[in-house]
Amino acid sequence: MSGRDRVALVTGAAGGLGRALVAALGDAGWVVVGATHSDGPYGADLSRADEARDLVARVIAGRGRLDLLVANHAAMTMAPVFEHPVDDWWRVVDTNLGGSFHLARAAAPHLREAAGAIVFISSEWGITGWPRASAYASSKAGLIGLTKALARELAPRVRVNALAPGIINTPQLGVDAQDAGLTLGEMKGRYEEATPLNRIASPEEIAATVVFLASQAGSFYTGQVLQPNGGATMAS
Amino acid sequence: MSQTGDSVAVVTGASSGIGRATAERLAGAGYRVAVNYARNERAAKAVAASVAGRAYAADVADARAVADMVDRIERELGPIGVAVSNAGFYEEVLIDDIDDDRWSRMLRVHLGGAFHLTRAVVPAMRSRGAGSIVLVASELALIGSPRASHYVAAKSALIGFGRSLARELAPQIRVNIVAPGPVDTPLLPDRDRAAAYTSTVPLRRIGHPPEIAEAILHIATATFTTGAVYSPNGGVVIQ
Repeated sequence: MSGRDRVALVTGAAGGLGRALVAALGDAGWVVVGATHSDGPYGADLSRADEARDLVARVIAGRGRLDLLVANHAAMTMAPVFEHPVDDWWRVVDTNLGGSFHLARAAAPHLREAAGAIVFISSEWGITGWPRASAYASSKAGLIGLTKALARELAPRVRVNALAPGIINTPQLGVDAQDAGLTLGEMKGRYEEATPLNRIASPEEIAATVVFLASQAGSFYTGQVLQPNGGATMAS
Repeated sequence: MSQTGDSVAVVTGASSGIGRATAERLAGAGYRVAVNYARNERAAKAVAASVAGRAYAADVADARAVADMVDRIERELGPIGVAVSNAGFYEEVLIDDIDDDRWSRMLRVHLGGAFHLTRAVVPAMRSRGAGSIVLVASELALIGSPRASHYVAAKSALIGFGRSLARELAPQIRVNIVAPGPVDTPLLPDRDRAAAYTSTVPLRRIGHPPEIAEAILHIATATFTTGAVYSPNGGVVIQ
């Protein structure tokens, strides 16, 4: 299924999954706008409502339309909940959950016009929780609630779904390893052991599910949370 | 999508509805497709002809018949890479009227069908070190129904069966479940086609078999997905 010149906005485009998303959507025929946290034509601090609105406005100004929002950006820091600096805790939540909300609000009129779709990138940890990740897990669980509410509210014109991937081989895993005092290899080994498929994901196989959800092939999905996680979690 | 291409897929209950659409979609993705049917030989042969596959008769409730069918498929078409347990039927019967025979038939076809197919395909998949199994359940397994408790029990059991197999057969074989919402097939009650119902569906319509077939193809080939329950249901179930 091809995007056929339809316009997709992918946030967190410089990250491990983000790069794979940009490539996979491009291969499927989408015109992909990749937004990053740094400077550049599509740079934005998505924890700020005005910057999220401005990002969407720039996409419309530059590309004329918006058919797909993939909210993939994420901040992750880890600390025990009683030690996590409050400002940092909120920065994670405001970026991951707040940023996705601001983007969705700004994008909704355009997505309605285009009969488009939203895919929020949540996380397995948003379903299972994780020690020392209360900010990240809260933000990702919040995204699941946002997905379900928006799916109902924007139906039938706009489909809204989420992905809750398991552990992916991306630089973000380094944050986790550092927090646990392990090498990257040891960290990977630990997750591989806890996953029925005995491995962690490549970004490409996660991106394939986003392309599926976004395309015509996913046309009867809304309000759903798809979980490519190697079998690590079998509950929703 | 490493399993597409030079591989064989078997789809049970493929003479109509979701099974037929799945056979067509898998063929489009390059699989040689075995089109299973229980009774509707004419329709199954037409589907098989249209996908350049082959039709195979077997009542999925009959373990021996399924095992024999799988042997024939592997001999005639080649190694099975994807097995889709889709055969089923629907009836609305209230609890007082679900006698032992109705109960038993419902369980034997849906849960037994998946069990028999899985048992038949797994040894060869295991020895080849790869395989993908998809069980077709129903959104009703997630929310229940006031009219078909035996159907819902059978479909819910499929989810437990599939998740357990996903753990047991990992990492070589992936097992996933697709739980479709209301879809335009011969099984769908007329009530669910009426505007009084479809107006309550968030997407304001029932699904089309090709949409479910896409979901089955995706989950069958999604290399990091196992033990998952995906429900293309138009938003009927958001939980």
